[in-house]
Amino acid sequence: MSASVQSADLVAAPATRRLTRLNQIDIVGLLITLGTLIGAIVWAFPLYWGLITTFKHEYEIVRPGVQLWPEHFTFENYVHVLLQTKIGYWYINSLITSGAVTLIVVMMAAGAGYAISQLNFPGRRFFWWMILASFMVPIPALIVTHFIVISQLGLINTLAGVVGPQLIAPVTVIIYKQFFDSVPKDFREAAVIDGANDFQLLFRIYLPMNWGVTTALAIITFIGAWNLFLWPFLAVSSEDKMNITVGITQVHDNFGVSYGRDLAVAMLAALPVALIYLIFQRRVTQAIMLSAGIKG
Amino acid sequence: MSASGATSGSESAAAPHVELRRVTKRYGAVTAISDLSLTVDKGSFTALLGPSGCGKSTLLRMIAGLEAITAGQCFIDNIDVTDTPPAKRRIAMVFQSYALYPHMTVRQNIAFSLSVAGQSRKAQDERALEVARILQLEPYLDRRPAELSGGQRQRVAIGRALVRKPEVFLFDEPLSNLDAKLRVQMRLELAKLHADLGTTMIYVTHDQTEAMTLADKIVVLDKGVVSQVGSPLELYNTPANKFVAAFIGSPGMNFFGVDIAAANGRTASVVLPGGRTAEVGITATAGAGPAELGVRPEHLAIVDPNDPHAAFAGAISIIEHLGNSTILYVDTPAGQLIVEGEGNLDAKSGQAVGLRLNESHARLFGETGAAL
Amino acid sequence: MIRSSRSEYLTAAVLMAPFVVIYGLFFVYPTLRMVELSFTNAPLIGPGKWVGLDNYFRLASDHLFSTAIWNTIYFVILSVVPGTILALVIALGVYRLKGWLQSIVLAAFFLPYILPVSVVYRIWGWMFDKDFGVAQYLIAPLNDGQRLSVFRTVPLFMPAVAFITVWWCLGFSLLLFIAGLRNISREIYEAAELDGAGRWIQFRRITWPLIWPVTVLVFTIQLILQLKIFDQVYLFTQGGRIDANMVMVFYILREAFQLNKGGLGAASAVVLFVVIAVLSVLQFQLLRAREGR
Repeated sequence: MSASVQSADLVAAPATRRLTRLNQIDIVGLLITLGTLIGAIVWAFPLYWGLITTFKHEYEIVRPGVQLWPEHFTFENYVHVLLQTKIGYWYINSLITSGAVTLIVVMMAAGAGYAISQLNFPGRRFFWWMILASFMVPIPALIVTHFIVISQLGLINTLAGVVGPQLIAPVTVIIYKQFFDSVPKDFREAAVIDGANDFQLLFRIYLPMNWGVTTALAIITFIGAWNLFLWPFLAVSSEDKMNITVGITQVHDNFGVSYGRDLAVAMLAALPVALIYLIFQRRVTQAIMLSAGIKG
Repeated sequence: MSASGATSGSESAAAPHVELRRVTKRYGAVTAISDLSLTVDKGSFTALLGPSGCGKSTLLRMIAGLEAITAGQCFIDNIDVTDTPPAKRRIAMVFQSYALYPHMTVRQNIAFSLSVAGQSRKAQDERALEVARILQLEPYLDRRPAELSGGQRQRVAIGRALVRKPEVFLFDEPLSNLDAKLRVQMRLELAKLHADLGTTMIYVTHDQTEAMTLADKIVVLDKGVVSQVGSPLELYNTPANKFVAAFIGSPGMNFFGVDIAAANGRTASVVLPGGRTAEVGITATAGAGPAELGVRPEHLAIVDPNDPHAAFAGAISIIEHLGNSTILYVDTPAGQLIVEGEGNLDAKSGQAVGLRLNESHARLFGETGAAL
Repeated sequence: MIRSSRSEYLTAAVLMAPFVVIYGLFFVYPTLRMVELSFTNAPLIGPGKWVGLDNYFRLASDHLFSTAIWNTIYFVILSVVPGTILALVIALGVYRLKGWLQSIVLAAFFLPYILPVSVVYRIWGWMFDKDFGVAQYLIAPLNDGQRLSVFRTVPLFMPAVAFITVWWCLGFSLLLFIAGLRNISREIYEAAELDGAGRWIQFRRITWPLIWPVTVLVFTIQLILQLKIFDQVYLFTQGGRIDANMVMVFYILREAFQLNKGGLGAASAVVLFVVIAVLSVLQFQLLRAREGR
């Protein structure tokens, strides 16, 4: 801005500048929004493409050209997969192990979180430090010794063995502790005067007041357990005991590659967790933010 | 053990219901309260009054068992409860924030202590209904605290305390979260509650109006020390020190420096700023020298500037018309004095006036602040 | 509050017990055992003899191990850097949307994150399939009209897997960026606009500095996360050049499970652990330092 700008120019300039920016904003803003929408479509395409392929006959799948919608809609891939593979076992295994992990982790974390937050006992600081330190140990590094421990317990190739090492969940404990910390002391004092002991405090005051957190943590734990690949892959060798995430990689058709079926079984594996996300979107989002807040 | 229908404050001959004996409270290196003793009579409404940080809430919480007593003892009904957990002290407390469980209905909130004790649903509901009737909360029994107004929530908090049939009610500044009009209304309800139940009530507040209107005995606290204990009128008319004199009464007492010319056991002649003299009654020995004189606004009167009996000559600075009274700020040789006059007083800002002093109601305070 | 210490300790013991048992069994013991094992020549199961730092020397001279390290670093750079930048860019776009449109768009970007890795494997294996994959329509023109088996082409393997990983994991970073953007008060932008600042200036002078802590957070979280990469690499490399595509965790598993060298496997695990631990501490300090400012 040169010092010799005339005052008239100063008055005129902002108006014209504003006008051009008004036009500019419309265009640029619109482009950004358009770009985002296109980006979303592109991003969703692979999933869509995989899904739509499962509804095509195999001959249509291997045909050259891109068919965005099946010429002949069919469920035959799914029927085959449901009847000819062990997918039933896998579903049940996944349900049991994921459910067990979720239940145990939530209970354990709520209890430990409450104790560290509200009670005074020797070793409290030590446990807290241990939990924080456990972030730095990557679970894949522990895989080997997990295997050793589980096999020493004779639990290789069992569902219990799959569940065991998944029960390490420091993030959950930390989140509970922080939420319990944030409950105003007044409630505790009022309840104590009313004669409540710690268990009553935990189950009738602290947990109910933080129900959203419990739901969010339970959902995210369930999804994490459902999707786990590495540990169940190592711990289980017989197809009957596999969880579904591992199971679908074991689908080998004896008659060559069948894209439709491979994808169908994958879609079935993803269906439960996708549904959970779509229904509980808010909770999942909340849980992600919480756990990231912890890591930061 | 509530003596229903008993009038408050008339059992002064009985043993104290609650007693703190030489209690000290330390937080690490900080001593909040040192060697403090106080008693609360059965059936009385006792207020713990003082500014923020004077230790009144700490004392209440020590009586409740929410704070440990570093040294000293606490007795309730002659039983040493110093180490007893709160739930076993037969007390109930109403918190400043009410601490109503947000996820429970009013009924569940009130009945919580019964449910914790394992009583049957039927017994719980009956008791809750009883209490709700007393507090006019019946229509709200199935609502959540978030759906209630401030006054209603306060009543639920009281109800939760009531249901325990405690020996002592503890109140921690329960009205401070309410707006002015609601406060007046709830004050009346609390007074009525006390009159109906006759249970001992200990009430913490920083608002001297609440203490004066509700309590039959006020304990004034200043930085962890008891400044004075007495009935509201005692504190008002015969404050033991400057702190109490300044704290109690609104608008507050006027203070200005004077010179004691002569004093015998019963009266002192003082020289007022501006030269006039006054004779003030005293109860302690005092020698000649500087002192402070305290006069309440209603004990100063506007008179003709030439009135020979006037203690001061001055000019009106500001006038506040309240309708039932008039507050005047008058500049005098003794500084700006607050005068309370009739509601329809005719006066103008800048007007020269004289102030007459009601000597029998003036109090002398020595260097330490103690009344003479 | 007055309470009996004994009852407090007892309650604490009961509440902490499950945690302590699980933690001891699956965290403390395995960690200690892993370190101990790394100093022995034991097989996967069973005892072995103490060999001191021998395993570590072996690792240092193992060509495959250094390949694994470089591949891991390579992969991390390929996935974390673009992933973070892309997440921020997309967040800026999604943040401007409102209502149900925003929900749908967000779901589109986030849904992949919910999928199990094997599903991602199937989807992208299909996309890139040499014979019938739809991506070949884009690849073939770049390859002299020839279709390409992406995962069998060594130089393309890592970039492809990194690309897929970005697609898979972006949702997580996206969420954090959106939350961070929401934390910036609208008023600051309004004031800037009144001052005449254009869109780009607003981004450079307001958004970028204010979102920096989130950027660091996202970057470091992803960094530490992707160092542990295994699943996708394993799945996509099946039937291909395993050695060339080796990553750290894969190496650990190979030594421990395939070659039954428990000690060596443990040693490589310890190396990974140390790397991640150091980075975690750095991340912690970095974020604390920022907060302190």
